[in-house]
Amino acid sequence: MRMAAVFLISLSLAPPLGADQMKPVPTRTYQVPYRLTSTNHVLVRVKINGKGPYHFILDTGAPTLFVSTAVCRKLGIEPDKKGWGTFGQFAIEGGVALDNVRGRVEDPFQLEGMNGLGLAGTELHGVIGYSVLARFQLEFDFTKDKMGWTPLDFDPPMPQGLDGEAVTGMSALGGIMKLLGAVLGKNPEQPILLRGYFGMSLEDGDHAVRVKGVLTGSPADTAGLRPGDAIRQFQGKAVRSVNDIRRLAAKLAPDQFATLQIVRDGQTQILDIKAGKGL
Amino acid sequence: MKRSLLAVCFLLALAAPLRAEALAPQSVSVPFDLLITKHIVVQIKINGKGPYRVIFDTGAPVSLVNTKTAAAAGILTKNASQTAFSLFGPVAPTTITTLEIGDLKAQSVPVVVMDHPTVGIISKVLGPVEGIIGFPFFARYKMTLDYQAKRMTFAPNGFEPTDVLQTLVTSLMAREAPILEPIAPAALWGFTLADKHDDERAGVTVQEVRLQGAAAKGGLRAGDRLLSLDGRWTDSVADCYRAAASVKPGTKVPLVVDRQGKQIEVLVEPAPGL
Repeated sequence: MRMAAVFLISLSLAPPLGADQMKPVPTRTYQVPYRLTSTNHVLVRVKINGKGPYHFILDTGAPTLFVSTAVCRKLGIEPDKKGWGTFGQFAIEGGVALDNVRGRVEDPFQLEGMNGLGLAGTELHGVIGYSVLARFQLEFDFTKDKMGWTPLDFDPPMPQGLDGEAVTGMSALGGIMKLLGAVLGKNPEQPILLRGYFGMSLEDGDHAVRVKGVLTGSPADTAGLRPGDAIRQFQGKAVRSVNDIRRLAAKLAPDQFATLQIVRDGQTQILDIKAGKGL
Repeated sequence: MKRSLLAVCFLLALAAPLRAEALAPQSVSVPFDLLITKHIVVQIKINGKGPYRVIFDTGAPVSLVNTKTAAAAGILTKNASQTAFSLFGPVAPTTITTLEIGDLKAQSVPVVVMDHPTVGIISKVLGPVEGIIGFPFFARYKMTLDYQAKRMTFAPNGFEPTDVLQTLVTSLMAREAPILEPIAPAALWGFTLADKHDDERAGVTVQEVRLQGAAAKGGLRAGDRLLSLDGRWTDSVADCYRAAASVKPGTKVPLVVDRQGKQIEVLVEPAPGL
C-alpha cells in the first residue's frame, strides 16, 4: 500500500529520499564487466540472493528494475498486488552489491521478443532502469571491456506511471515474436565451445615462434615439444608471431590435432599435438 | 516471409557507415532533464534546425526521429523505395549531417524516421518529444551519466558501432546455427577445471595446476574453488574461459578462490602461449 502511494504521488519535485542522513560514501569505482549483445544492448550479469548469474540489459528508457517472472518463480520471490517484488541481495558482477532492491516482477515485451527470436545471442532475464542506475555515476566506453560504476549519495525517487495511457498492442508484440521464434526454431541461448589447450608458452622470434616453456604433463609435453624448439609452421601455415599461432588455433577444440613444423638442433621435424582441456 | 520478419524485428536500417569524429578528444558536458517517468530528455539540433526535445536511451539500438520533425529539419528521404514497412508504420533510414546535443557536435549520425508509439504517448502526456537518441550515437563516445547532477559527458573514443540491422538480418535468415568460434583464453594459465554437473554452488573447481605454470607461480592450488577471475564471476567452465579471454598475456590479475572455506585472492600473470 505504501509502495503504491510512493508510486502514485509525484516525486519529481521532492528532495531525494534520505538526503537528510548524509553518510560519507566511499568514492570507489567498481569495474563492471559487460558485453554488447548482437542487438547492441549493454548486458551485465547479476546474482539475486546468491543465485544466477542472470543477464540484465542497462536501459535508461526503463523507469525501474524489471525481473522476469520465470526468474522470480525460480527464486521464490512473490510479487505484491501491484506487481512489485523485493530482491534481498542484488549483486552486479564487478562488486556492486545492493540490498532490498524493489523492482517489477514482469516480462517486458522487448525481452520476450528478443528471447523468442534469439536476437540478443543469449537469454535475457531482466532490465535495469532508472531506480538502480541513478544510484551511480556510470561510465560507458565500448573500447574497454569494463564499465565504471561510482556510487553516488543519491536515493532516487520512484518514477511515476503514465496513468491510463497504455501502448496498445505493444505488449502483444512480445508474444508475436516469441511465436515466430518457435516457428523458426531460434533458441535464445547459443551452444558453447571451448578452445583446446596445449601447455606451451611462446615468444616471437625472427623467422619463427620460439617455445619458451612446456608445462609438464600437458598435451605439448606428451607430444614431445621442448623448450627452445622453433615453430616454423602451424597447421601448414608459416608463422612468425604468437598471435599468428593463436589465430590459427582459434577453432581447435579439445581432442583435435594441431600439426607443427618445428626446427630443433638444425633439424626440421613435424609434431602432432592433440589439444586437451584447460587454459 | 523475409519481409514480415524484418518488420517485426524493429526493422531499422542504419544508412551510412560512421565516419571518424572531427572533434578534439576532450570531454563535452551536456545537461539533461528528467521526465516524471524518469526518461532522460535532451535538446538537440538537426542540421542547425531546432532545438527539438528527444529521449536519450541506452536501451535503444537505433536513434529515431518522428516524421514531423524529420520533415521540418529537412532530413526526410524523398526516395520512397527506401521506406520499409514495420508494425509502427513507415520507417526510413537516413543520416543527420550535423547533430548537436548541447555543446556537442557530431557528424553523419544514422537515424531512422519513424513514429514510435511510446514516444507518441509520452509526447501527448508530458509535452513534445520528437524522437530517441540511442546506441549508434553514444557508442562513439566515452560517456558518463550522472542522474543526480543531471549531466552527461562525452569524449570521442574511436569506437565504431556495428550495424544492428545487418546483424539481425544475418541472424534471423540463418537457416542453420551460426558457426561458433570457441572461447579462447588470450594467454596460457596452466590449470584445468573439473566439469560442473548441475551444481548450484558458486564457482568452479580447479582440477590440476601445472608445475611451473603461471597459475602455480601465483599460488593457485588444485581443489581451489575459483569464484572470480579478474573481477568476472566464474560459475561455469565457459565463464572461466570467457574471463580468461579478456586477460592479455603479461597482465597480473586477481583470482578469488574459496580454499577450505576461506576466501583468498591470488595474483596470476598468464604467459604468452596456449
